[in-house]
Amino acid sequence: MSAVSSWVSETLVRDATERRIFAVLGLITVLLVVGVLTGVIGPRFLLFQIALVGMYALLSLGLNVQWGYAGLINFSVAAFWGIGAYCAALLTAPNSPLGLGLHPVFGFLAAIVVSAFIAVLIGIPTLRLREDYLAIASLGLAEVIRAIILNERRWTAGSSGISGIPNLMSWLPLTDAATTAAIVVFLIAVVYLFLRRVHRSPWGRVLRTIRSDEDLAKALGKNTYLFKMQAFVIGSVIMAIAGAFYAHLNLYIDPSDLVPLTTFYIWIAVILGGTGSNRGAVVGAAVVIAIREGTRFLNDIGFIQTLGIDLAPLRLLFVGGLIILIMRFRQDGLLPPKDELIWPAARDESSTGGASPSGAVPDGGTSSNGGDDR
Amino acid sequence: MIPLQISPFQYVANGVVFSSIIVLAAIGLSLVYSIADFANFAHGDLMTVGAFSALFSVGFLRPMLGDAGVFGLPLWFFLALAFGMGAAAVISVITDRVIYQPVKGSDSIGLLISSIGVALVYRALVFLSFGTEAERYGVPRQGPIPWVRETLGIAVTPRNLVVVTLTIVLVTALHLTLTRTTLGRKMRATADNADLARVSGIRTSEVILAMWLIGGALAAAGGVFLGLEELVRPRMGFDILLIVFAAVILGGIGSVYGAMLGGFVIGMVHELVPLFYQWGISPVGSRYAAAVAFVIMVAILLVRPSGIAGDSG
Repeated sequence: MSAVSSWVSETLVRDATERRIFAVLGLITVLLVVGVLTGVIGPRFLLFQIALVGMYALLSLGLNVQWGYAGLINFSVAAFWGIGAYCAALLTAPNSPLGLGLHPVFGFLAAIVVSAFIAVLIGIPTLRLREDYLAIASLGLAEVIRAIILNERRWTAGSSGISGIPNLMSWLPLTDAATTAAIVVFLIAVVYLFLRRVHRSPWGRVLRTIRSDEDLAKALGKNTYLFKMQAFVIGSVIMAIAGAFYAHLNLYIDPSDLVPLTTFYIWIAVILGGTGSNRGAVVGAAVVIAIREGTRFLNDIGFIQTLGIDLAPLRLLFVGGLIILIMRFRQDGLLPPKDELIWPAARDESSTGGASPSGAVPDGGTSSNGGDDR
Repeated sequence: MIPLQISPFQYVANGVVFSSIIVLAAIGLSLVYSIADFANFAHGDLMTVGAFSALFSVGFLRPMLGDAGVFGLPLWFFLALAFGMGAAAVISVITDRVIYQPVKGSDSIGLLISSIGVALVYRALVFLSFGTEAERYGVPRQGPIPWVRETLGIAVTPRNLVVVTLTIVLVTALHLTLTRTTLGRKMRATADNADLARVSGIRTSEVILAMWLIGGALAAAGGVFLGLEELVRPRMGFDILLIVFAAVILGGIGSVYGAMLGGFVIGMVHELVPLFYQWGISPVGSRYAAAVAFVIMVAILLVRPSGIAGDSG
């Protein structure tokens, strides 16, 4: 038990504010569990929501590599997500226009290859230039991809969408909802650990330098264009994986979710969670789902229906207002990155004065937030 | 496809009209880019706000003025246009004061992301005030001008002429302001080098105010013209934003004259895509007109990122 708590205190929670944030999250989790046990919330529904949160968390992790690590403004999150979802749907659904009905593995592979290819294509003209060129070009890319999917009916089925996408790993002795939830948790764990590893590596440190001062990185002899390209491709591939997963979660896909609003939901998740913070990206994704699904519930409440208010514009207003407020008042987000680049061992050394190279490990519960603020 | 008997000049005429709208929008976007130094993603939705403000004013202007008309359009339309321009100008100044100015450490990236929030809020407010349906100004339907049709074989309506003429008037007025007035010189100085301008005693806050007023008014004019030519829709501005950005990048970010030229070229290309498709030059038809604008933008970024008229990236 103490090993777990020390792991929690070292890798997740590092100061009082964060402890409060996690306390609130814990409380919500307990409430959800109680809700399921008392039968207020159906377990199937909850598992679906968990899978959805997980997919958003994957998207946020992908954007975090681009915006959080390297400072790249990508406004085509929805497009890369859509590429992933359509690769999966087209290759695996037996009644898709391609009609191949392949194993889902091929869908995921195609999602990775196609998204990496398109990321390189859009990166070549923009990544050498100022940040805002990528912002503009990626917004354009998103619209072009949506237009292609809507118009090329022969290949994509257009606005009627693709149904009949198979479930993932239906041989597992679990219900479908539980299987997808388990898969997404697994995917997040893999991506999270991978990103934490690369972020702490020299590669991650170079990206961090590029984000804060690109000229400095250049002066140190780094090919910043190449580093930015790698970050952009990695982030885009993660988004495409999230998309492919969504196709197998929802079992139906159409172009309506490829709108720019989807992209901005992910932006909120990342900047609300804390730019550059992977923990924050996951928490931000949960908050965004809460907003989306929460406002959907409001629609079902009779009182609001009698008022005759259309909630879609209110949601838009809320999303826009939230972006403005975060940028103005809390640019750091809820869980800003503090010492994510520092190896835990090095952190322990510095917190014990750095004089003991043997690295005396502090007891569980002693949070090491001394002197290593960024 | 429909058997096409449309004269190539018809596409050129459509192109001139659409270009006018893009030029107006691109000038405002370029002004913000050069003076406030950020890519304003709310500019498209500012056009929508202008178009809907004009629509709102039609509600009370039309009963007041009746159907008296000039240049083939009712008088109330011109007043509604002025109202929309004024409203958008005021709204963009308020937005700058309330939202952009206080953004902490207002670097161009923070402002860029904030402008996305502003765009969504504008659109949400339009949805809430006017609903989600497409609307019309209710300008009576007009046929093409007969003598143009007979001599050139193309259909040009009086409203097409009004849009193009008013655009030329507005652009000329802006040109004279920039070159002949003190304010214009201050604006150009600030756009060139804000610090140097400040050191030379130019009150840059004044310049920024003027910039938002002009940019907002021109965006609204573009929005109203777009609403007049097509429909007044809550998404109209955002849908056109990519094309406007393409025009600004083609012209060279921050250059007002570049934006005019870029707006003209991109607007023209946008309308000529079906013609190019017929001739076999373009592999795609009009459904991909916006995508063609995007491809041109990417090509410019590859070949000459500073654009036609820009001198710095």
